[in-house]
Amino acid sequence: MKKYLKIFVTACISVFMLAGCSIREKTAGLFLYNMDDPYVDVFAGHILDFSRGRFSVESMDCNNSQIIQNEYIEKQIKKRNDIMIINPVDRLGAYSVIRKLKSVDIPVIFFNREPLSEDLELWEKAYYVGAKAEQSGRLQAEMIMELFGGDPDRLNSYDRNGNSKIEAVILKGEQGHQDAEIRTAEVVKTFRENRFKLDILITEVANWKREEAYEKMKHIIEVFGNRIELVISNNDAMALGAISIMRQSGMFRDTNSNGIIDKDDDSWIPVVGIDGLDEAVEMIERGYLYGSVLNDSLSQAMAITELAEAVLGNKSFDRMSYPLTDKKYIWIDYKPLK
Amino acid sequence: MIVLFLTSAVYYSVFSNRINSLIESQSREINKQIVLNYESYINSVIETSNYIQAASLNLDVHRSYEKLQDIYLYNSEIKRDVVSIFLFDEKGDKILGNSPDNIRFHNIAGEKWFLNALQEKTTFHFSAPHLQSLFSIIEEEIISVSRSVKYNESGVEKDGILLIELNFENLTDLADKTNLGIGGHILILNDDDSIIYISGRRKGDELPESIDIAVNNYLGGFKTEIDSTQMYVNINTLSQTRWRIVTINNVNELALARDEMLVILFVIFILSFAVTAFVSFVISRRISEPLFQLKNSMLKIEGGDFHTTVEVSGQKEVVRLSRAFNRMLEEIRALMDRVVNEQREKRKTELKALQNQINPHFLYNTLDSIVWLAENKRTDDVITTVIALARFFRISISKGATYIPVKDEISHIRNYLTIQKIRYVDRFEYSFEIDPGVYDYKVMKLILQPIVENAIYHGVGDETEKITIRAYPENRFLVFEVENSGYGITEERIAEIYQILKGEHSKSSVGMRNVYLRLKLFYGDDADILIRSELDEMTLIKLLIPVDEEVSHISGRKGIS
Repeated sequence: MKKYLKIFVTACISVFMLAGCSIREKTAGLFLYNMDDPYVDVFAGHILDFSRGRFSVESMDCNNSQIIQNEYIEKQIKKRNDIMIINPVDRLGAYSVIRKLKSVDIPVIFFNREPLSEDLELWEKAYYVGAKAEQSGRLQAEMIMELFGGDPDRLNSYDRNGNSKIEAVILKGEQGHQDAEIRTAEVVKTFRENRFKLDILITEVANWKREEAYEKMKHIIEVFGNRIELVISNNDAMALGAISIMRQSGMFRDTNSNGIIDKDDDSWIPVVGIDGLDEAVEMIERGYLYGSVLNDSLSQAMAITELAEAVLGNKSFDRMSYPLTDKKYIWIDYKPLK
Repeated sequence: MIVLFLTSAVYYSVFSNRINSLIESQSREINKQIVLNYESYINSVIETSNYIQAASLNLDVHRSYEKLQDIYLYNSEIKRDVVSIFLFDEKGDKILGNSPDNIRFHNIAGEKWFLNALQEKTTFHFSAPHLQSLFSIIEEEIISVSRSVKYNESGVEKDGILLIELNFENLTDLADKTNLGIGGHILILNDDDSIIYISGRRKGDELPESIDIAVNNYLGGFKTEIDSTQMYVNINTLSQTRWRIVTINNVNELALARDEMLVILFVIFILSFAVTAFVSFVISRRISEPLFQLKNSMLKIEGGDFHTTVEVSGQKEVVRLSRAFNRMLEEIRALMDRVVNEQREKRKTELKALQNQINPHFLYNTLDSIVWLAENKRTDDVITTVIALARFFRISISKGATYIPVKDEISHIRNYLTIQKIRYVDRFEYSFEIDPGVYDYKVMKLILQPIVENAIYHGVGDETEKITIRAYPENRFLVFEVENSGYGITEERIAEIYQILKGEHSKSSVGMRNVYLRLKLFYGDDADILIRSELDEMTLIKLLIPVDEEVSHISGRKGIS
């Protein structure tokens, strides 16, 4: 009897020790600002794919509420997660989150919404992985300048009225939203820097939404009609909304009926977006959308996963595919699509 | 007992957990509600700001000055909590907004809200509330919300700073309406941990203890004690700001309910403990007490006392057990009796064989004597001897009976002595002193002959010996005495004889020991042989045979054939 007990206890201890050595996997909490955003949904999928076999990830949908996000973060702190990967709902809320995580010594990687740099500085184990919003605006402008011939003094036939100015409509994301402001400002700035004359017919706020862009664009076409030479959108969704109403208004005619809109057709107006949504890529192939800028969630997800591994001590910081800037940031380039 | 304890413990922990999670979720819910209220308030401010910006996005501040000014004024009037809205250029000069007030705006570029907005262009900046004399008449607490915006001046896009001034009273109204229990309150902390607002605090009051807690914790909910009252603290961020909203919730009442529960459970536990203890005591008495009795009886039996019976009352099982035990005892007793009886019978059979044996030497010697008498023509003596011998044998046989009347036994001895006297040529005399009352007693036959034989062999010497045979009743005994005069024997010899009788000595005297064994076997322990001797005088052998008064006339003990 005693002997069996001994064997049993020994077995228990060895199982426990085995569990202790090998089964204790590092854990990460993944906080998504809103899973209804298809971009975030895809992004989260990439992170889950990359992290498989490296560390376990528990992902949480914060339903666009910082309160819910705070609550989830608190719960994950209590569970002693090894690392937090946070897509903040509110950039400024990150301030308290960073201070809290510092106080319990849990590293954090932010993505998709950049906290203030002074807030990131508060905690040495706080990082940000993302793209520079400025770059997306710049890439949009470069794409357009190339279309118009690249020479500000001698615009090609896409300057339909030949006045050496590009008459443009800007579809802006949410007013006051960091990305909307920066993208808009940057695209305009790039034209100016390259001495291209941009005549902004109207800047319309469509809050990132396809339907809203459709309605706003309907009004814009009524007012400006064929004066429009260019549509710049802060994201693909609004660009696609604009294209819908533009097609209904007689633009984008498939003259040779090959299913692809010819850029040389009189009815073709360049529309540019940002994000590189699947539907946007399809519309580029079919000739409706001139171009988009890919906010490269696949590369960002990879960078996040590698950075997390490095922070958890499973990988050297030097061996990451993307360099760490200022010991805090990994910047992933936007990629032009056209 | 352990089960009881565990049940109470589990119940308490479940209940306590329930209460705790109730406390937690309730205070979290309150905190959320408050934060949501503030968020919606702040969002409405931001909406106003966005609306103004969006509306002015395509308007030139010079060409459309009147239209823009209308938008600014209209928005500051339509919203109750918005006091005023201004647009400044990067140098701090006012471009749009309410009526100019030069006293208030003499150094805009140096104001904190202005500098913050210039420095960090991507966010709104909420200042701590400060007193502002509006229109130089009324003093009001206001919050400055500032943000870098772009405006259009003569076709050129420029950076400016938008300022929205909010009435702080509306913010505090939101907080004051919330019921957080006695001592419960709300704190709003700025990003530098300075206090923006404490609800329910009158001027001059001391700063509450909760400030330290609020400053040292950045996020989350937890229980704590403030002024020896159970409080639940919740800290949340407020969107679009770097502020923290801290709610301090009085949860004492719920905690008290939980403690009361603990006391009640404890009482229940103690009561149940007592009841259980009592019940188990009673049960153990009913079960273990009879078992204990049974054990004691068993110990007694182990000690050799087979005559106890176990009388146990109580549990049916134990009674049944004790009955079975008693039955077993009876069985053992019966078995033992049977074994003893069988042994006794065996002995009796053996001894009977002995008693029936006629010493061949005696017959040979007697016949030798008769021959000798005949040779000497002593015809009378021959006749006497032959008659005596014939009688001696007839009584010896007695038709196989074991018990014979005392008178037959005596006559048997007489015959024996007659023969022996002729053989030993009158070297001894003998006499009988028999109480006539004992003649009819029945006695085991041939019990005296070996004693008398002894008396003759050991006593007959140079002098004429005298042998006296007596028989008389004494108390419950029939007593035979065989006394012979002579040298007598020493005390040591007597002790030795006793030992021989009891079989404790290596020497053996077959005749005496046979008598002794037969006495003991047929008459029980009370029967005995006593030896008395006076040196140079006499030796007396006394046989004590117990007689049952009622059956004395029929047999000495019981008739065994």
